[in-house]
Amino acid sequence: MESSSAVRADLFDPASLASLGHVEIIARWVVDGFLTGLHRSPRKGFSVEFAEYRAYQPGDDLRYIDWKIAARSNKWVVKQFEEETNLRATIILDVSRSMAWSSDPTRLTKSAYAEQLVAALSLLLIRQRDAVGFIRYDDSLRTVIPPKARTAQWRRILHALEEDGAGLASHASAALLQAARLIRRPGMVVLISDLLVDTAGVAEAIRLLRAVGHDVTVLHIMDPAERDLTLGGEAVFADPESGLEVSATVADVRSAYRETVEEAIGEWRESLQSTGAGYEVFTTDVPFGVPLRKAFAARQRLP
Amino acid sequence: MSFLEPLYLLLAGAAAVPLLLHLLRRRISLRVEFPAARYILRAERENSRKLKLKNWLLMLLRILAVLLIALAAARPVGRLIGSGHAPTALAIVLDNSLSTSTIIDGAPLFRRLRAAALLAARQATPSDRVWLVTADGRVVGGSSSAVADAIQRLEPIAGAGDLPAALTRAVGLVRGAGLPARHVAVATDGQATSWRRATPVVDVGVSALVPTGALPANHAVIVAEARPTRWTPRGSVVARTLGADSATYRIGIGGTGTAARTLARGTAVADGEILVRAAPPERGWVAGSVELEPDELRGDDVRYFAVWIGAAPAVSVDATVGPFVRTAVDALVQSDRLRLGADAAIAPADALTRLPALIVAPADPVRVGAANRALERLNVPWRFGAAKRETGTVREPASVTSKLLDGSTVTMRYPLTRIGDAPADTLARVGTEPWAVGGDRYVIIASPLDPAATDLPVRAGFLPWLAEAASQRLAGDAGVLLLASPGARLRAPAGVQTMDDASGQAVPIASGEIIAPDRAGVYFLRRAGAKAGAVVVNSEPDESTLARLPAATFRARFDGRDVSVTADGERWARDAYTGSARRPLSTPLLILAALVLVAEAMISRGSGDRSSRAAAKAA
Repeated sequence: MESSSAVRADLFDPASLASLGHVEIIARWVVDGFLTGLHRSPRKGFSVEFAEYRAYQPGDDLRYIDWKIAARSNKWVVKQFEEETNLRATIILDVSRSMAWSSDPTRLTKSAYAEQLVAALSLLLIRQRDAVGFIRYDDSLRTVIPPKARTAQWRRILHALEEDGAGLASHASAALLQAARLIRRPGMVVLISDLLVDTAGVAEAIRLLRAVGHDVTVLHIMDPAERDLTLGGEAVFADPESGLEVSATVADVRSAYRETVEEAIGEWRESLQSTGAGYEVFTTDVPFGVPLRKAFAARQRLP
Repeated sequence: MSFLEPLYLLLAGAAAVPLLLHLLRRRISLRVEFPAARYILRAERENSRKLKLKNWLLMLLRILAVLLIALAAARPVGRLIGSGHAPTALAIVLDNSLSTSTIIDGAPLFRRLRAAALLAARQATPSDRVWLVTADGRVVGGSSSAVADAIQRLEPIAGAGDLPAALTRAVGLVRGAGLPARHVAVATDGQATSWRRATPVVDVGVSALVPTGALPANHAVIVAEARPTRWTPRGSVVARTLGADSATYRIGIGGTGTAARTLARGTAVADGEILVRAAPPERGWVAGSVELEPDELRGDDVRYFAVWIGAAPAVSVDATVGPFVRTAVDALVQSDRLRLGADAAIAPADALTRLPALIVAPADPVRVGAANRALERLNVPWRFGAAKRETGTVREPASVTSKLLDGSTVTMRYPLTRIGDAPADTLARVGTEPWAVGGDRYVIIASPLDPAATDLPVRAGFLPWLAEAASQRLAGDAGVLLLASPGARLRAPAGVQTMDDASGQAVPIASGEIIAPDRAGVYFLRRAGAKAGAVVVNSEPDESTLARLPAATFRARFDGRDVSVTADGERWARDAYTGSARRPLSTPLLILAALVLVAEAMISRGSGDRSSRAAAKAA
């Protein structure tokens, strides 16, 4: 089919892709490409009550194509049903100053990358009739959008992405607790952050979310230079958020730094997995499809 | 190990750069925004000891690399471990000059030099080529044992020889040998007077043995000569001694050594001159010597001379020659320095009838024509010109030591013109024109010997000059006296067929050349069996000055890149071959520096790679 041979935007270089258009357009491309890659529509809740027909989209399950209409009018349509799902998901995005950093001007900042990811993930969830909420935070809660399954919800989320942020702290635990208050029933919580905070506070908040039945997935986003310290020379390295300054010669500390980062990631993974939360780490140079797939996989585990 | 470009060792100062960088590395002005700075801090805290150790190790490796590069730039030459003894062309220059016979620390220095040379020669292998070159220019080549035998037989000569020439010869020998390793080993006393100039040794390695030890205060006779060389029969012996204090001397005549009759004894002051007048009974060519008490350098304690002794010449004085000449001759006759007779004449040229003669210019200018006719008749190749009445001063050539005519004033003279190319000497000039000339059996004075023409007759030098002219120039051919240093090559005088050797046996002279014997002494020349002169062989006066060259100056006498100097005979003998095994070390040092830099790179990046792999594995 025509769509199956189309270029998959979810596998594009994220910086190149982001330069092609507005976040809304990019998110649509990514989600379309992502769904094409699944070969099977993720919309499994089509069994409750018929609602309407709509045009076939690449990735739709062939089981729901109305073959009679196709034979009669040579148009492919799929049947849609009411009340496909009752999942309520909340995406929590860290918009502190550390997120607004990139090691390379040609590369997306962590914030820009995360915003694209939020847009794509929320669109994906809404398309399968999940209720999606959105929280932005830095040193305070910047945006709180309660979960809803309407199409307009996505535009509200996109609009929220354009609001201010870049505060001098990252209060993830407060945001997580706020999410717990927003979602009364057990649902899905996705935290997207660079996790340059203490492990204990975040883990404790997630433990509370897990205690009330929420499924929590943490997407740890890092710049490639933060992962491997690919910078050169010697300098005073300053954390724009905390004001911490460290003098170092990169060549001297690179290996120890990489070991330390691996240790920190290990600590995060161990700490979050002990609470039952999912944890994935990725860098801003991987295609959007990678974290999208990980987040969506978490969704698929839920009813 | 030695360096061909030692100035480049200053580059080693660059080793301070890694050290300074290490010490100053915390003074960083560049500020970089990096949100994950907490991980850098944590990495530094958790690995501080490891990082310090690594930084120190890196610093040491960098310093080592800089030092190795600086060393390599200085072009070191040294022996590599295990490089062995390559086939070597070795020339041993053994200093056998007189000064090496000096007794230092109870034994002649030459023995130590010879022992070291023997040691070096005996270490040669069949694949080596070895030569012995001595200070007197002899060269012996061949097998190790042949050269060792030649060294064993070698004795010091009585003179200085020519060590720079020997060195040049040795360099030429080893360079022409066609072997990969070339070396010249010089065993010498390092005497300053023997090494006056730098000798190019090009690309040949040179090791020099200069033994140490306090030099003795040497006494020497540096001048011994008979004045004049013909005594009639009176004369004098003039000697000069070298020494920091006085020394007892003995002057012998009539032979050498114990065979000589003592002419005089006395005590010479430090660096003093001895003058002894004598009229010995011996006749003909006679050998003599001036000796001092023996000291550590025996060879220069005696110096030889030779003199011809005969009766005073008999002269006749023409009545017209003037009162001053007649009075002078009377005085010389009374003092037995001349006799009255017909052996030679003293006469004005216009009254001259025979030779030999002391010819005086005519007192009357109108007699010039008669004077020139008399000269022509007697085949004297000089003619008087027209009288010149102008004042001038007599000047003798610089080669004349007595200067008896020098400074005399001349107011009237007849310029002398030479006819043909017969041999003649100009004894003195006035201005640029000859005034006194001498030739075969004649002496001519261009002015009348009268105070109206010249003040010579009233000067103090007139009598001795007259006596010398009569005895040395007019008394016939007594023969030739040749002075030489040992080994010198001389042209044999005409008609001389043999020369006596040290034992007195006559040895034929071949191809008109005389080679002065190695031993000091007097060697008579003979013509038809009769003594016709003498060769007097003495050491060069400078050879008695034993002072060594300063080490740096001595080293500079070898104009080459690979030169070493030692006082250790065994080491010198060893270096004669291992020195040839010395190779440029720049390349090994650069390789070592490269290895050090590789190690530095591995250490600085190795753990980084490990963590990268671990990260990749984790991802």
